[in-house]
Amino acid sequence: MTSPGWAAPSYDVLVIGAGLAGLSAAARLAEGGAKVMLIAKGVGATHLGPGTIDVLGYAPDRVERPGEALAGLGGEHPYARLGGADAVARSVDWFKRQFDGGPLGAYGYRGDLGENVLLPTTVGAPKPSAVVPETMAAGDLRDDAPMLVVGFYALRDFHAAYLADNVARGGVPARSLVIEGRVDGRPEANSLGLARAMENADSRAEIVRQVERGLDGAARVGFPAGLGAEDPHGVWTALQEQLGRPVFEVPTLPPSVPGMRVFKTLRARLRERGGRIVLNSEAVLAVRDGIRVEAVRATAAGRQVDYRARWIVLATGGVASGGIALDSHWRARETALGLPVHGVPEPGGPRFGADYFGEHPFSRAGVAVDDGLRPVDGEGVRLLENVLVAGATLAGAQPWKEKSGDGVSLASGHRAAELIMEESR
Amino acid sequence: MPATLKTDVLVIGGGATGAAVAWDCALRGYETVLAERRDLAEGTSGRFHGLLHSGGRYAVKDPNAAVECIEENVILRRIAADCIEDTGGLFVTTPDDDAAYGDSFLEGCAKTGVPTEEIDTAEALRREPRLNPAIKRAFTVPDASIDAWKTVWALAHAARGRGATVLPYHGVVDVLREGDAVVGARLHDEHSGEQVTVEARMVLNASGAWAGQVADMAGIEGVEIIPGKGIMIAMNHRLVNTVINRCTMPADGDILVPIRTVSVIGTTDIRVKDPDEPEITQDEVEQMLDDGERLVPGFRQARAMRVWAGVRPLFQDAKATGSSRDVTRAHTLLDHHERDGVTGFLTITGGKLTTMRLMARDIVDAMCAQLGDDRPCTTDKVVLPGSEDLEPYHISERLKAKEDHLLDDQLVCECEMIPRARLEATMRERDTTNLDDIRRSLRLGMGPCQGGFCIYRATGILHGVEQLDAPQANGSLRNFLEERWKGVWPILYGDQLRQARLDDWIFQGLLDVEHLPQ
Repeated sequence: MTSPGWAAPSYDVLVIGAGLAGLSAAARLAEGGAKVMLIAKGVGATHLGPGTIDVLGYAPDRVERPGEALAGLGGEHPYARLGGADAVARSVDWFKRQFDGGPLGAYGYRGDLGENVLLPTTVGAPKPSAVVPETMAAGDLRDDAPMLVVGFYALRDFHAAYLADNVARGGVPARSLVIEGRVDGRPEANSLGLARAMENADSRAEIVRQVERGLDGAARVGFPAGLGAEDPHGVWTALQEQLGRPVFEVPTLPPSVPGMRVFKTLRARLRERGGRIVLNSEAVLAVRDGIRVEAVRATAAGRQVDYRARWIVLATGGVASGGIALDSHWRARETALGLPVHGVPEPGGPRFGADYFGEHPFSRAGVAVDDGLRPVDGEGVRLLENVLVAGATLAGAQPWKEKSGDGVSLASGHRAAELIMEESR
Repeated sequence: MPATLKTDVLVIGGGATGAAVAWDCALRGYETVLAERRDLAEGTSGRFHGLLHSGGRYAVKDPNAAVECIEENVILRRIAADCIEDTGGLFVTTPDDDAAYGDSFLEGCAKTGVPTEEIDTAEALRREPRLNPAIKRAFTVPDASIDAWKTVWALAHAARGRGATVLPYHGVVDVLREGDAVVGARLHDEHSGEQVTVEARMVLNASGAWAGQVADMAGIEGVEIIPGKGIMIAMNHRLVNTVINRCTMPADGDILVPIRTVSVIGTTDIRVKDPDEPEITQDEVEQMLDDGERLVPGFRQARAMRVWAGVRPLFQDAKATGSSRDVTRAHTLLDHHERDGVTGFLTITGGKLTTMRLMARDIVDAMCAQLGDDRPCTTDKVVLPGSEDLEPYHISERLKAKEDHLLDDQLVCECEMIPRARLEATMRERDTTNLDDIRRSLRLGMGPCQGGFCIYRATGILHGVEQLDAPQANGSLRNFLEERWKGVWPILYGDQLRQARLDDWIFQGLLDVEHLPQ
């Protein structure tokens, strides 16, 4: 970097990353009165995931009570750094409260760390989740009430018959019905297109007419997770009233409408508490003074900006989000601040194995932290005093396998905020 | 399928050569059955770089092979135009190569009839701006890229059109002998698990790297085929639009082929014992990436999408030593009547995809001689189905087709632009539950996302079209993911690792495929 960045105003906290971890940290800090700036390269993984808060689903057997199971994870797991199950529970309670009076009206989440529900995935597999949107709760497969799954021919990312077949195979009576025709006038739609159509009372009435004809004993009705982007509670409630039975959403392939609702809610919370959020701004360099980061240099609209802050929360995500990268010479790096990456196999050693569903040596790579969420080196020595790491950047988890990604992101983002507030006092 | 089939000819091996042999037999009026143990072109033919040779590569070292290549190149462009993209080719002298080889190259091309012309390096760089700017010389040749799966299926369709029976997933378990005559074979139907006996006047062994195993089953000894393993890496887009060869004696990592939406670097050459499931080593991957860097600087920063290994069938010459690249590349016809005193059985092996038609002609000519029939070969004149307009394939074809149906069809695979109607028609036609078969027919899931988005959709559609039950559909999905992973994990770095992790999120985090009912 030859040219110094343009100096932005100074903040109490700079959060890097707009996924669940970054948004939670930023909104919580703003709530605590801090002057917060959130920068991110783009929207985070909220738009890709199912929108549920999966705290811990497999360890490696299926987990029924996630709160209790957290204690059984090894010391290398990020949950071991997050202040115990109580801190995780606090983050969940905080998360659920963010929806009260938020931009989505009465829409909210249900559940806690007490027990996992089993929601059908897009293929009809039973997935353990701790905290779920109210619009998904009635899909719980621990309940064997017969269900009708409604699909839309135009929605490529949701195949109702296949889903229902697997649910039935798993022991819950399930049938499917596919609504032919176009969504929004197009031959193909994604979940967001469906969500917009569902918010139109006329389209919804026509869908209800078709679904009613196929109800035939179904005690509940599942739809692809696209029951409204602006007013999901209203759409969901209206459908339940019109169909006279519980209605639930099933996640689809991305884009994730439930995930967008989370993004929208937390962003609104951050802003109304005085925080700022700037997207399309990629952190590229830490301006350091010994063991403190004085500023973070980020690209924005063709120039570089130095964001100065007393505290930095690094929540750029893991490999999928670009927070951790591996080059063709097998060198791993943390991309925003250049922190060392922990858990990378030795050069020449295997990084991945031949079995897709097996364990892969590189899978748990990430930034290692101490109990203060500060990055540490291989010996556990703290590298930076004012940088806290949260979310999928953390080493030690295999979130897609464990179904722990949302829980780790929420709890670590929230924990980072708590630690900063405690230490700033 | 009746348990016993009677036919004139049984062709063993459903790669390019076997399909060409079946087509040639059918065209000459023989009743023909083609048996392939897996899917058509799943072996060596589907695991090469996609180069339709001009002959330039062999112009110095193996003039006979060069002559065959250029002759077949011209013929295939005529009969299989739809399978070929006229990319053209360049031989370039990199800074690591001896510039004097270019003179031998020009001389060799002149002798063998391979059209070539030396062009200014500035002109070469204008045509291919990503080429190494330090190249010293450049020569044009009529190389092209050829889609092996499309070609093999065009041959199979053509053969079927003339009454042939094409049986994928029918492995030979025994070759039947009556005294000194081969009289047929017993096949195992991999799907139904049943046995099918084929009684044939002639059995033609076109099983490539597996030809020795088939000859063994016929009780014929000493047909030794050396499997020569080569790895190839597909990059996620076309780094070049012209085939790029290093202008040097044929060696490893000296060719980059633009084919369909990707470009493929190849290849290595290592003798292996077993032609099945050849291993890909880290050293080979590193070597390919370094070789790519030499041709196109920045190659390592580009996105490597998939790696695979193919095995060349190289017939053992008694004098052969050292690298299998020194064994003859030209094909070998074994007349087992002359060689072993066994009638009704011929083997064709060696060769290369470019010369498949010639190989077919040679073995079918030998068969006609043995049968005493006078039926000349006409495969050089009859155009294959799909190529009737004689227009070569153009990379924009699918985009054009998509534009035509933008408002009335869904796109299932965005990377390869496969519409739903086409996918459903192919599923019906192939009548398969194996998504990997569909991949070979349509290139489903072969783009940058490696099936991340389309494979769930395709599974849902397959479940409906083929009326599968849940465990069958789950098996198809799981099998595709596991097969895909084989070609992905040795080259996972950079953006492709990022993509793979997104795919993990989709298949494991979102769909939880791992915990579907079996």
